[in-house]
Amino acid sequence: MTDAPPVADQATATPTEPGPGAAAIRLERLTKRYPGAAGPAVDGLDLTIPRGELVALVGPSGCGKTTTLKMINRLVEPTGGTVWMDGVDARTLPVHELRRGIGYVIQQAGLFPHRKVADNIATVPQLAGWSKDRVRQRVAELAELVELDPDLLGRYPSALSGGQQQRVGVARALAADPPVLLMDEPYSAVDPIVRARLQDELLALQERVQKTIVLVTHDIDEAIKLADRIAILKVGGILAQVDTPEDLLRSPVDEFVADFLGDDRGIKRLSLMRVRQARVSPGPVVAPSDSAADARGVMAAQGTDWVAVVDPDGCLTGWVGAAALDGNAQIADAVPEPFAAVVDPDTTLKAALDQIVTSRTRVAVVVDAGGRYQGVLTVDDLAEGVTR
Amino acid sequence: MIGALVLGADEPLVEWDWVSRHTDEIQQRLWQHLSLTVVAVGIGFVLALALAVIAVRWRWTYGPLAGLAGVLYAIPALALFGILVSIPAFGLGFRTAEVALVSYTLLILLRNIVTGLDSVPAATREAADGMGFEGWRRMLFVDIPLAAPVIIAGLRIATVTTVGLVTVAGLVAAGGLGELITEGLGRSFSTPIMVGAVLSVALAVVLDLAFLALEWVLTPWARARPSRGGQR
Repeated sequence: MTDAPPVADQATATPTEPGPGAAAIRLERLTKRYPGAAGPAVDGLDLTIPRGELVALVGPSGCGKTTTLKMINRLVEPTGGTVWMDGVDARTLPVHELRRGIGYVIQQAGLFPHRKVADNIATVPQLAGWSKDRVRQRVAELAELVELDPDLLGRYPSALSGGQQQRVGVARALAADPPVLLMDEPYSAVDPIVRARLQDELLALQERVQKTIVLVTHDIDEAIKLADRIAILKVGGILAQVDTPEDLLRSPVDEFVADFLGDDRGIKRLSLMRVRQARVSPGPVVAPSDSAADARGVMAAQGTDWVAVVDPDGCLTGWVGAAALDGNAQIADAVPEPFAAVVDPDTTLKAALDQIVTSRTRVAVVVDAGGRYQGVLTVDDLAEGVTR
Repeated sequence: MIGALVLGADEPLVEWDWVSRHTDEIQQRLWQHLSLTVVAVGIGFVLALALAVIAVRWRWTYGPLAGLAGVLYAIPALALFGILVSIPAFGLGFRTAEVALVSYTLLILLRNIVTGLDSVPAATREAADGMGFEGWRRMLFVDIPLAAPVIIAGLRIATVTTVGLVTVAGLVAAGGLGELITEGLGRSFSTPIMVGAVLSVALAVVLDLAFLALEWVLTPWARARPSRGGQR
């Protein structure tokens, strides 16, 4: 049977060394029926969560995403099917041991109001009986990891802002370095600005810790931003589609998935792509030493009424419009105006689009980290990227 | 046993002379009163805590348990002492008084402990379960500490009530300030009555303040104020 590959020790598994196709968590025909309910909350769900990946469970309310999450750490016991943790049937592990190997982050953080921030973070290490010195050291490490001001460690949770509490919640979940992290709507209780920052921090954190993360959210944009893979569930816990955000947006399998993704799938795909992945046009470029006639020639060839001025080092100095050339023999005599829309190769195409539609020249100029001119990006270039 | 109190026209309410001659007895009665109260509330608290844990774990038991405690609470104190004294196993004395006193604390304490445990935020309980607290550990380190303010509020009411009831225990020769009052009533002599009553009230106030102090020490987190700082 492929169901029971060689048993890997839960505690010593190193998620930073993923084997080829190694599945940290596999849900097999997972089912939950609540007594008295008309239909199952989760119905025969098959889902593989590869090691070191962030998989988002999304869907409308009643789709069983939270129930599915809670069946992984057995806060909800399945009525059918199996959760395989590293090839081990989760039911065969003592429930408290299973849970101590799984970090758990919930909505509004769920911190212990009667314990100071440091003690909240130290919860699982203390349960596991770590020495005081080791706990203290670990708490300091975690505060740094989640960018929490160390001064806050001695406070009670009620003295913290929502965003700070959520950071503490993540630090607490990571305290004993579990290979798996479950996150249940972690950012739904914080305001949008804090949420965006916490999401960015999670991505940066995941780069460092490479945990296997299952994230439940009702916010498809959050899933697209954070997840390596998105599982979309229908009401009744039926898996509609599981794919990378790119593939999901490019080819939703049915009407339900397409509706759930929203009517701006193209724009959402732009938010996943970076300028470096797009086709960049050379654009109308002149050197300061070129003549006004040369510049007019470039404009005519490119069909623009402006030229970008790039100095011999490859650095962009600005743009000159056709009118500004009048009476000037050389480009150097005109005063170049700065571009309003400048993007770098790591800018998302969505942000680039925003720059393009708000700039007078209808292009975004691409400049690398060293300030060197790379070319220009037009709406056509973006459309090319999305339809490719 | 209880005669009508008839004061002589020229008799003062408190004869300080009598008080100074009976300081040893007054001290002894006060000490007995304190012991009767502390033992009753202590035993009542342990019993109520056990019942509350059962009631929270198996919800259907709460109704019957609270009902039983309610019936005990509703029995008039004088009648209960009378019934217990007539049972040979009890008779007059400390044990009889304690059985009655403990049974009066149960309703107040059970209700407050269950209310306190119910007030623990669901998210906090779920976080504790999800992190691998065993049931008893979660009760000890999460639920009970968080319920502490409500539990202590129950202890304060139970204690003040018990201090009052202990004066009745004087009737079953259990000791306490009630004995002074009974003596005064029997002799139509107001001084011991006044001494017993005033000290009983003072004891109730002191114990109430002691619990207030205990709460202050045990729940520093409840005093922590949300910061005015901006979100980060």
